[in-house]
Amino acid sequence: MMSPKSNDNAKSKEKTDKESEQATVQYLMKTLENLQKENEILKRDILKSKRTPSGKIGFILLAIGALTLVGSVVNTSTVLAFIGLGLTFWGALFLFARPIKFVRGSLLDSTAISSYTTIDRIVQDLNYKGKPIYIPPYPKEAYLPEYLKGLKEMIVFIPAEDVVAMPTIEEMAEKQFLLKNPKGICIAPPGYGLVSLFERELKTEFTQIKLDELYDALPAIIINNLELAKEFEINPEKDLIHIKIIDSVYQDLYSSEQSIKSIHSIGCPLTSAIACALAKTTGKLVAIVKDMISPDSKTIEMWYQTLEA
Amino acid sequence: MNFPLSLWDISLWIAITAIILLVTSELLAPYSDYFGDFVIEKTRLRLAALLLGAAFMVTVLLRVVMPH
Repeated sequence: MMSPKSNDNAKSKEKTDKESEQATVQYLMKTLENLQKENEILKRDILKSKRTPSGKIGFILLAIGALTLVGSVVNTSTVLAFIGLGLTFWGALFLFARPIKFVRGSLLDSTAISSYTTIDRIVQDLNYKGKPIYIPPYPKEAYLPEYLKGLKEMIVFIPAEDVVAMPTIEEMAEKQFLLKNPKGICIAPPGYGLVSLFERELKTEFTQIKLDELYDALPAIIINNLELAKEFEINPEKDLIHIKIIDSVYQDLYSSEQSIKSIHSIGCPLTSAIACALAKTTGKLVAIVKDMISPDSKTIEMWYQTLEA
Repeated sequence: MNFPLSLWDISLWIAITAIILLVTSELLAPYSDYFGDFVIEKTRLRLAALLLGAAFMVTVLLRVVMPH
């Protein structure tokens, strides 16, 4: 039988643990908020400094061209008319052909680093050792009651222990962050936005296509449509799926200077989006089992495994 | 105060500009990955070139229909 003193000790210890956990979560939330603010400021600064001048040039050419055309009508000059036509046309072309959103590749790394640093901090602080698992969502068209709508979002579950376990449907539907059974955290995958872009390019959902179709579609989307990498290969290897990416726009995230740990288990936004696509297509859990990065980070190789829940 | 260019002058101008744009667009086509800091959207450039090409064809058609 437990003595009253030991009982008190256990209670006070439990209370202290609970308090410290709450303080940690609060601290992490605050850090996350600060990092997001910093991220926004950084984004704005870089966009300001790297703004392309083609818009201004276009307007100037258009204005000069219009004036020259008016001049040609007043003076009845063929030469002036040709010059005016040319200037007006090139001005309009500059305005039409300039990309609306042109950002430098380095911006991608600087905006993604804060998220990875936060994940690293959370995992380190909570001392979680499990491999992140990508959990497939329900198809968007599938009917689900209101309280289960949360199941339509792709999530990554980072378990506390290195076991393949899945959170309960209720916990996932409630979009909880800290899960109790099994213990772990649920976060949005870094490639969450990118996978939606892939689907937009493909003009269908990944849940609607077969694995072979995915193998055919992904290289075209990544190399030609979105220009995220110079080369991309995807091949099934026994029970694993192997990908090889050369010159990815996210390659700098893997460099030793960044020293991000979670990127090797969750993947960069591109490899994470591929994991999401695999999970959606197969309808199974997906985990990154191994990765191999060349010393200059130019070649990224990754092996995915599909798991049964 | 009349516009000094005739339809045939404009047709010639459109033809030359269309050729320049089509050649540029074709030369840029293999660079589907990275093209340094080149900020022109290639698909739109190609679209403009094709539109000009079509405009030239229309002027040619007009010349066939109305020779004088």
